Amino acid sequence: MAMGTTIIRLTAILLAVSLTPALAQKTAPAEDPASQEQVQSDVSTREIAIQSNFTGVEILIFGSVDFSDSRTPGEGAYDVIAVVRGPDEPIIVRKKERVAGIWVNGPGKTYGDVPGFYAVLSTRPVRAIASDEALQELGIGLIDLDFGRGTASSTPEQAYRSAMIRLKKEKQLFQEHDDGVTFIGRSLFRGTVALPVNVPTGRYTVDVYLFRDGEAASNSQGSLMVTKAGIEEILYDLAFKYPFIYGLLGVIIAVMCGLVGWFAFRRD
Amino acid sequence: MIQIYLPIAEISVNLVVMLGLGATVGFLSGMFGVGGGFLLTPLLMLSGIPPAIAVATGANQIVGTSVSGTLAQWRRGNVDLRMGFVLIVGGVAGAVVGVILLKILRELGQAGLMISLTYVAFLGTIGAMMLWESVNAIRRARAGEPLSARRSGQHNWIHGLPFKMRFPRSRLYISAIPPLVIGCVVGLLASFLGVGGGFIMVPALIYLLRMPTNVVIGTSIFQIIFITAIVTLLHATFNYTLDIMLAFLLIIGGVIGGQFGVRAGQKLRGEQLRALLALMVLCVALRILFDLVLTPSDLFSIVPVAGL
Repeated sequence: MAMGTTIIRLTAILLAVSLTPALAQKTAPAEDPASQEQVQSDVSTREIAIQSNFTGVEILIFGSVDFSDSRTPGEGAYDVIAVVRGPDEPIIVRKKERVAGIWVNGPGKTYGDVPGFYAVLSTRPVRAIASDEALQELGIGLIDLDFGRGTASSTPEQAYRSAMIRLKKEKQLFQEHDDGVTFIGRSLFRGTVALPVNVPTGRYTVDVYLFRDGEAASNSQGSLMVTKAGIEEILYDLAFKYPFIYGLLGVIIAVMCGLVGWFAFRRD
Repeated sequence: MIQIYLPIAEISVNLVVMLGLGATVGFLSGMFGVGGGFLLTPLLMLSGIPPAIAVATGANQIVGTSVSGTLAQWRRGNVDLRMGFVLIVGGVAGAVVGVILLKILRELGQAGLMISLTYVAFLGTIGAMMLWESVNAIRRARAGEPLSARRSGQHNWIHGLPFKMRFPRSRLYISAIPPLVIGCVVGLLASFLGVGGGFIMVPALIYLLRMPTNVVIGTSIFQIIFITAIVTLLHATFNYTLDIMLAFLLIIGGVIGGQFGVRAGQKLRGEQLRALLALMVLCVALRILFDLVLTPSDLFSIVPVAGL
């Protein structure tokens, strides 16, 4: 139900956004309108609070192309790629090996800067939109991501890298949606991305790139914050800032529960 | 179904499942008169809670359930405070070693493996021994033979050790070294496995120290409160692995389940109870062993460095 009202509110925003460029186009003193496309975008929720009932959240990325010269929605002159990227963190990838009949974790490889969340949404498969070089330059697509320290091209290293990408994808922390962005009119586009329950907290960047004939024409950047809220935030902060007090709290709660249980159920 | 997000484990779990898990383990522990940590921690690991968080949170749950148990024993005068204190001193030393050991193993990525292996070894051995003993007792009872009484008053090598102390409640005059060592071993197990360690403590006090059985149960459960409380504190402070939200759900379920378990346990005979418990312990051991031996569905695993 909350999602429904959000969508209605967003539709209103979308309409507002779609009207603005039309007005702007008339007033802007453009020299060569054909090459002056500008992309503008935003996200539906800029602050995401993880509370005890959190099971994931869907966010809407929307925007418009100013000075669009496409006549119909289906003309396909423009392509949009949106990249949602969470804060980087170091990750260890381990492979199990059989030792004396038992499966044991091997030494593992560490990658210094792995985005905690990474989603690419596009109007078409990204490789059909732009050249590999252009994508690599902009850091679009999992294959071209630089995971920092530990990244190498040797075959065994590659196995660890692709295993990490696969596991991150299974946890919905890496996502690629070839049809994740759709144009609604000549200039208006939208796409949704689902943040799973295990999303890391921190500041996320949302980069929206506008491509025209395989060339990056314009881009816009936004951001959103994922934070723990309510009791989750209190407990999390306490656990990492004042761990002794947190531990003491755990013990006190346990003792109280034990006492209450004993008094509630005793038969003598 | 109501999902609840765990702030430290950073996963969403089913509220009803976690309450039910606490209640089931509480029921069994009330029925068999054991702490239940040896069931709870592996079950938490099997339900997707990271091993180190399962251990710390399991220890916290035992604090709650053993408070109820201790009060019941205390009223019957079954707690030897002096012996409990010596056991706790040894236990603290063991707990510190266990917490450090777990921290090192986590950094090496071997914590889950070592916890599992230790569980298999302990549960397998104790389960087999208990099953053997209880099946024999059942057979003797069927054949109408009298149960062999414990030969009390017999001295063994333990009574020759120095630093002797008087334990009036247990009617013992023995060296402080064996209780210290027993406490230390149990503390180590408690911090490493997230158990109370009653399954080691009780036989050790009965067979090694020759304490009267009724005092053994009371004293064991009394010192478990302190050991698991210290283990909880140490894990929270040094490993950041305690999830209070999860512990709270498990304790609520556990306290309620435990009350029904005590009543159910009074309807069964001692040796039948022990045989059932032995079978359950063996099942848990086998389940963990299978996970170690069977080829995993995915050979790779990822873990954030910060979340160690």
